[in-house]
Amino acid sequence: MTEALRIRGLAKAFDKPVITGLDLDIAGGQLYALLGPNGAGKTTTLRMVTGLTRPDAGSIEIFGVNALADPIAAKAITAWLPDEPMLYDKLSPLEYLAFVAGLWRMDPHVASEEAERLLHWLDLWEQRDTRCENFSRGMKQKVALAAALIHDPKLLILDEPLTGLDAAMARSVKDALREQVERGKTVIVTTHILEVAERMADRIGIIGGGKLLAEGTLDELRDRAGTEGMTLEDTFIRLTSGA
Amino acid sequence: MTRLAPGSFAWLARHELRLAWRGRRRSGKRQVLALVLLGLYLVAGTTVAYFLMGVPIDYRAEIGIGILAASVVALSFMTTQAILGSQQTLYESRDLDLLLTAPIEGRVVLLAKLAGIAGMIVLTYGGLLLPVVVPVAILGHPHLLGVVALLVALALSAAAIGIAITLALASIAGPRAARTVGQVAAAVLGGALFLVSQLSHGGQGRQSSFVVVFRDLRAWGWGESGWSGVPGHAAFGDPVSLAILLAIGVALFTGTGAVLQRLFLSGYQDAGMRLSGTRPTGKASARLFHAGLFRSVLAKEWRLLARDPGLVFQIILRLVYLVPLMLVAFRGGGGLIAPGLAFASVLVATQLTGSFAWLAVSGEDAPELIAVAPVDKARVDQAKLAAALLMAAPIAALLPIAIATVGRSPLGALVSLIATAIGGTIAGYIELKLAKPGQRSAFAKRRGGSAIAGILVMIVAAIFGGGAAAIVYFIG
Repeated sequence: MTEALRIRGLAKAFDKPVITGLDLDIAGGQLYALLGPNGAGKTTTLRMVTGLTRPDAGSIEIFGVNALADPIAAKAITAWLPDEPMLYDKLSPLEYLAFVAGLWRMDPHVASEEAERLLHWLDLWEQRDTRCENFSRGMKQKVALAAALIHDPKLLILDEPLTGLDAAMARSVKDALREQVERGKTVIVTTHILEVAERMADRIGIIGGGKLLAEGTLDELRDRAGTEGMTLEDTFIRLTSGA
Repeated sequence: MTRLAPGSFAWLARHELRLAWRGRRRSGKRQVLALVLLGLYLVAGTTVAYFLMGVPIDYRAEIGIGILAASVVALSFMTTQAILGSQQTLYESRDLDLLLTAPIEGRVVLLAKLAGIAGMIVLTYGGLLLPVVVPVAILGHPHLLGVVALLVALALSAAAIGIAITLALASIAGPRAARTVGQVAAAVLGGALFLVSQLSHGGQGRQSSFVVVFRDLRAWGWGESGWSGVPGHAAFGDPVSLAILLAIGVALFTGTGAVLQRLFLSGYQDAGMRLSGTRPTGKASARLFHAGLFRSVLAKEWRLLARDPGLVFQIILRLVYLVPLMLVAFRGGGGLIAPGLAFASVLVATQLTGSFAWLAVSGEDAPELIAVAPVDKARVDQAKLAAALLMAAPIAALLPIAIATVGRSPLGALVSLIATAIGGTIAGYIELKLAKPGQRSAFAKRRGGSAIAGILVMIVAAIFGGGAAAIVYFIG
């Protein structure tokens, strides 16, 4: 099976090196949690994958498509949800979804049906014609999630998707992500909430010092860190303490 | 969004225009008031058109020069608007993350952004021109519809120039500095023509500089034919002139999209256009924050301002706009220099202190911290007013010093200094009591929050400035 994401030798420096020769393979059809201390380069890595930041070196393949050589083809099968939802305040959820669907050149009728399904599913149908400017952070996050899902991406990348959400909102977002995985999609999330990664992720990657420090299932990470029977938090601290 | 192909340039441009339009729309009474004013303007325009029905409006060289001058002035103001619009769309709208993760060419995104900026320019200037021009054209002078095409050509050109300046600045100085420099460039560009015209004809007595320029251009044969007559002929519907101007506008527009797309994309991809990020503050010291309420407040206000060069430039630009006024004051000969400086001194002090006081009090980023701190609110306000006065003092003291040296009037300098100090204090106090709270980033729009405070500050400036000027004049 083609890997959902294949990264080789990825490097990026701003004022100082952020990513230094990162190699990462993520198989399709799973939920992958990318963890790391603050400033480890998680967001920079994902922004390079989505084409928003240009790497200094390395290669990125998304389902076999060279994302640097053919960014349009790579973007067509990818969705990106940043930590701060990027909504237009003056548009309603329905208008916003129609716009995003247009960006991915969806058939308008299909887009309309899909928008209705997603808004019902995320409990936003009643607010479909209300401008987003007065929405809570959680509602904006759900609209942005619907927008990320509307074009049925094969690879869904989310940066801190649960930050600032209340318990009910967080639950519905987690359910939505699991459902995507059950439908065969690949989901990559970064999160500071280690319990979320512990419970939801099929595999976990830990970045530190610009490189991949460890990668595997939770049990594999525990074996490596020598933290059998302990939490992911203990394992994470052990693995990143030297980074 | 069903007629235009999704993801196409036209589709994306329509989206940009829709966003811009919705961003401008006002709600409730303001919307009604705007519509009423527009309606009245249209009625006035139609009335003018009615009276011009039988009057022949033919092209003359004088009209050509007038239209050329108006086009140049309009282009400078449009470019100013385009620079500010480019900065807003590149640095503040935050939608580039979405647009650039979509499977769309960067060139299309850039062109759509350009179309949005050009559209807003057309809307702005169209609102001023069209209620008059269209009725006049319909009622007997159809050739004047060329004005509409001239407007579109100027807007396309201005949008292209504006975004090119913004991207070039971002490429040279980085996005953070580009925003500041861009705002300065926009303001200077907006006032440049007036300043240049004033400075270049400073020695010709009281005669209007615009009259002098017009006379010179007429003498050189401008406005009749050749390139200087193109805007005028275009406004009068000459198809060749119209074609030339529209071709230039479209070429600049599409050329910008083609040439700058790499700069646009690489600028965003290398650093991100958002102004977030950290920057070292240099040698920092917390010592001043342990030295009592007054020094703590002063240290905090000073550092916040010193670390926000954009804000500093906005404040200084308010002084730049006072330069024409000062030039007018100096026109009358040596006798008016000292009184003019006295008036300008109070004007500068009230502007500066008012600005600093607003930033210190209304632009407080952490009002809840101040509110829950175990300090007397009135004492905090007094400390902030004192901080505003101290920050304004070095600049406000310059003009009284000039009165003492250039104007050779030490007594006049003393009078000016006292009037400047009193005027500045009252202006700061007005801001302290009346200004509406807001974000520091909304400094430029603060007058929208409290028009009364603005009017009162101007009255104080007029009273104390006028009083100081009169005293300085009479004491010689």
